Amino acid sequence: MTGRARKSGWSSPAQGGRLFRYLIAAIVAVWSALPVLFIVTSSFKSSLEIFSYPPKFVWTPTVEHYVTLWNEWDAFFATMHNSLIIAVGATLLAAIVSFLAGYVYSRYRTQALAASAFYMIAIRLLPPIVVTLPLFPAVDMLGLSDTHAVLILLYAGFWVSLYTMIMKTFIDEIPIELDEAAIVDGATRLQTLVRVIGPLALQGMMAGAIFVFVFAWNEYLFALIFTTQNAKTTPLVISEVMDAIYGTDWGVLFAGVTVQLAPVLALVILGQRLLVAGLTAGSVKG
Amino acid sequence: MMKRLDAPAWAMLAPVHLLLATVITLPSLYVFWLSLNESTWGTGLSFVGLANYREIFADPYFWRATINTLILVNAIVYVEILLGLGLALAFVGGLPAPRLMFAIILMPYAVSEVVGVLAWKILMNPSHGAIGRTLELMGLGMNWSANPTLGLTLVGVISVWHHLPFTFLLLYAGRLAIPASVYEAARIDGATPWQTFRRITFPLLMPALLITMIFRLVFAFRIFSEVWLLTRGGPARLSEVLAVYLYTGAFRNGEFGAAAATGWIMVAASLLIASVYLYKMHQRMASSDP
Repeated sequence: MTGRARKSGWSSPAQGGRLFRYLIAAIVAVWSALPVLFIVTSSFKSSLEIFSYPPKFVWTPTVEHYVTLWNEWDAFFATMHNSLIIAVGATLLAAIVSFLAGYVYSRYRTQALAASAFYMIAIRLLPPIVVTLPLFPAVDMLGLSDTHAVLILLYAGFWVSLYTMIMKTFIDEIPIELDEAAIVDGATRLQTLVRVIGPLALQGMMAGAIFVFVFAWNEYLFALIFTTQNAKTTPLVISEVMDAIYGTDWGVLFAGVTVQLAPVLALVILGQRLLVAGLTAGSVKG
Repeated sequence: MMKRLDAPAWAMLAPVHLLLATVITLPSLYVFWLSLNESTWGTGLSFVGLANYREIFADPYFWRATINTLILVNAIVYVEILLGLGLALAFVGGLPAPRLMFAIILMPYAVSEVVGVLAWKILMNPSHGAIGRTLELMGLGMNWSANPTLGLTLVGVISVWHHLPFTFLLLYAGRLAIPASVYEAARIDGATPWQTFRRITFPLLMPALLITMIFRLVFAFRIFSEVWLLTRGGPARLSEVLAVYLYTGAFRNGEFGAAAATGWIMVAASLLIASVYLYKMHQRMASSDP
């Protein structure tokens, strides 16, 4: 199908080719957006209309589910609060440590560094579920189970490899003469990093931050294993509600999911250029 | 460019490597030790040698999970690469409203696995889902909750949906990296579109295709959430994948020894798949060294 579209699209800008391209675009758009649109639109439908068949494409929007969500589902907002703390915490932690390390990987060249870059990428390829086995009793022993800290460390830990490589690539673009000039002017290494390199590498920092934030905001497995009550994240509570739901609560669940989804969807759409830059700068290229 | 690591450099490297060691490296190594011991919830270890490995190798559910994982992972990755390649080429060839299309294609990336499963689960429900009921009316109804093959098929669909943005982005970036002059030359020589694809796009895109494939194989191999949330590995444990087998063994039954053995097998398999990529990366690093 796509083969034919490409063929007709390339050979001539004829009518048939154009039609085919619109068809391809329509199929792709429906495939990609349908599940999201289904949830978002359903959250604005009355409970009776949500599962009406054939589905209603025109209806009177209602915010009743959002009102119920706000008034009756306190627990949901508590998990949103947890998710926010954890996602912001993991993003900040990963950004700071990756910036520092990325600077070294960019400005120094030794055998040991090259080997350690290789190790960082390799270690990132291990399945996350494996590390939960030793960490589960360890976290318990340290009194860290069901805390924000454990998820912050895990989420940051699984992204610093890519993030460091992204920072290295972006710092590589900054002329080393700028570092040297700052040092000559009497700036310390830390001041150079914060005042000179930081602002110039901001794009890379934001690219990496989007990856970590989206991951931490949406993650399920670690949250399932390491949280039970106090640090429970939104995806976890959504999964619990979806398995225990009955009757008219679907609309409220969809409203909650929409609230969970909206910020990261906006982040990904607004930050799409940064995502592409980050992917090409990260491990994929190296 | 500094040729020696001084004290500030060590200090700047320390946090990342401390974090990686605590969260990934040491736990992964410790899993091997754990796999040689009998333990309850990872404590009170007693050495049993290879007994845990013998135990899982004798467990038909382990083999079922292994076969399910292999089939599922291969299906997901190849379908995804075909779709991602087609999409990338269609995109370069020109789709209407490219900026909007790009945003729409990226959408699933922003969605949590939990939300993805929720949406697809309801849409595909045979009695009240928009797609599931339509299929039912067309006589193609699939009761995926009662049939492990159909359940895993739906898992595959959800997984492809979820990760297509990633595959598309990698292949799209790879395609854009091919210089336009090559295509210009082909056009002047009167190459047909098929010849252009066969002789230029495909061979020049090969490195990107290979890397994308390895990345996706490695990441698909750890699949957990979609299966757990959709089927819980059922019915009758027939739709388990390795990560679900490990999770059930460890966190439902408390058998950390056998789970660690499964985990160590997953580590070895991941590194085996990744070794092609790691080897290439190592070569490139060696050649770029001063």
